[in-house]
Amino acid sequence: MLQRDTVFRITMLLPLVILTGYFLLLVFSQSAYFNAADFIRQLSQPDIVSAITLSLIAATASSGVAIALAIPSAYALARIDFPGKRLIDTFIDLPMVLTPIALGTLILMSWNTEFGRMLAGFGLTLPFTMTGVIVAQFTVVVAISVRMLKATFEQVNPRQEQVARLLGCSAFGSFFYVTLPLARHGILAAIILTWARAIGEFGATVMVAGTAKGQTATLPSSIYLAMSMADLPRTVTLVVVLIGISLLVLFGVRAVLERRR
Amino acid sequence: MIRVEQLIARRGDFRLGPIDLDLCSSSYLTILGPSGSGKTLFLETCMGLIAPEGGRVWHGGQDVTRIAPEQRHISYLPQDLALFPHLTVRNNILFGAKRRQLNEADVNSRLTNLLDLLELHAIIDRKDVSTLSGGEKQRVALARALLPEPRLLFLDEPFSALDATIKRQLQVKLREINRQLDVTILHVTHDQEEAFMLGEQIAVMIDGRLRQVGPRDEIYYRPASLDVARFLRNQNIFDLTVEEVLPNGSLQLGDSLCLKSPGYAEAQEGHRLTVGIRSEEVVIIRPNKPIGPELQDNLFHATVSDILVFGGTHTLCAKLDSSNITVDVELPNCAMRDLGYTVGDALQLCLRKRSLWTIPLIEHAALKGAHDDQL
Repeated sequence: MLQRDTVFRITMLLPLVILTGYFLLLVFSQSAYFNAADFIRQLSQPDIVSAITLSLIAATASSGVAIALAIPSAYALARIDFPGKRLIDTFIDLPMVLTPIALGTLILMSWNTEFGRMLAGFGLTLPFTMTGVIVAQFTVVVAISVRMLKATFEQVNPRQEQVARLLGCSAFGSFFYVTLPLARHGILAAIILTWARAIGEFGATVMVAGTAKGQTATLPSSIYLAMSMADLPRTVTLVVVLIGISLLVLFGVRAVLERRR
Repeated sequence: MIRVEQLIARRGDFRLGPIDLDLCSSSYLTILGPSGSGKTLFLETCMGLIAPEGGRVWHGGQDVTRIAPEQRHISYLPQDLALFPHLTVRNNILFGAKRRQLNEADVNSRLTNLLDLLELHAIIDRKDVSTLSGGEKQRVALARALLPEPRLLFLDEPFSALDATIKRQLQVKLREINRQLDVTILHVTHDQEEAFMLGEQIAVMIDGRLRQVGPRDEIYYRPASLDVARFLRNQNIFDLTVEEVLPNGSLQLGDSLCLKSPGYAEAQEGHRLTVGIRSEEVVIIRPNKPIGPELQDNLFHATVSDILVFGGTHTLCAKLDSSNITVDVELPNCAMRDLGYTVGDALQLCLRKRSLWTIPLIEHAALKGAHDDQL
């Protein structure tokens, strides 16, 4: 019996060890090309600073807009019954299953419609602009936010909202005093993961806003450009920065989720 | 205080109502019914959490059918209590008072009273409500519901998850609250003991309809329909025929059993009816003891065919010698010890006339018809 248990544990643990080893290989394979002096020198290059700044600003803006729209949308999907709900619930997942390149194409084509031209008339131009980067990132990440937040709101006991109503809260009051505080850990996790997905976005961003250095080149597109020019010191610097940001985010999510338990 | 007229609501395929109900100020009504009978849906509709398909709800003479839940001044204690885990015990209790912006001095004085009444002083400063025991959570939820001085308190099976001792303490507390705080209580439960202990009035709900509403004794001893009788665990139920309407108005019944029963309006020879008697109302006639005038009718010789033990009571299954019918007789343990019956013993029973309830079969048909219409 004990022997069977050991075989079972090994069967489960072995793939985990292989996966961990593979990821460690990916991360530390750069060490052969990493040079601290090069890294510091590269970090002071204006186009790298610009890529980091642009990535941080665009990811914050796009994930901020995505979360602001996703919170009410996810709540509506989790709690309110309305005609066509299942259809909309499925349709809203479209950006998650479409490749980002296809999404970028759709965004560009939509700007070529009457509605798009009207938005362009208000100054919302996409090619080679920061707005283009933000719109591309928003389109890719908003569905993820809605999906995560819907799951979060579904976990809030509707009885607590009902009791709050009967204790004197309006529907908005119950949402602000009960639902949002109870969903706060899930919302925080959604914000962090949405932001992380936005900062790593490449396909749709390149398609919509291009990769103009100092203008629309984000960290991922700068990595692509550096690698295509075989500029390894620059590539490694950008990758290390991205890994640093990603690890910070992942540990942040873990800390939030553990507090939740 | 609260009046419900022809209320109809729906959840999925389940239809509630039409329901009519009147509840006086300061009264205590329990709605008793099996699981899935629509009790919670009824409360939710009265509280405005679900829009009714039809009918009206009145509070204190005002039509509140389309009024938002927060404007109805009802407090609600759901089955899972729904305490707010992000708030401390104190802030949970004060939640309603803060949202309603009640006068601080009044709130403090009422809080002190409630802490005394519900014995909450020891836990009021706890930060985390998840550290409270089941009974403590119950009392905190009750204090939260009572602090904003609601006109009505709706309770939805609030004690179902508690052990028997704590449950009894809290049931006694609820009676105190009803009397001391003068709050009208509508309490939903499937627990018959709880319903009869707490409710001055009881409404029996089965399949989304109120089958009977009345004082507890009436519900207990005079079920209005076979559904109600069966739900209230009436074991001794017989289908009989009226053989004669006696000059004093009572009935001579026959068929599988010859019985004298109380009469009913429009009783006629040949009418079919259902007759029943609660097992604790069946009298065992002790040998060689004089029989009082009340026990002269409906006497039967029987043999004990089985004995069932239920903690504090025994049930004798007595097969009547004159027919194939078995009558259940409930006895407290002390009486059972005195009588010392065992399986196979002979005994004499009296199905006391005044303890019998009767339902003409015509009423079953009417009720069944109404139920079929509803479906």
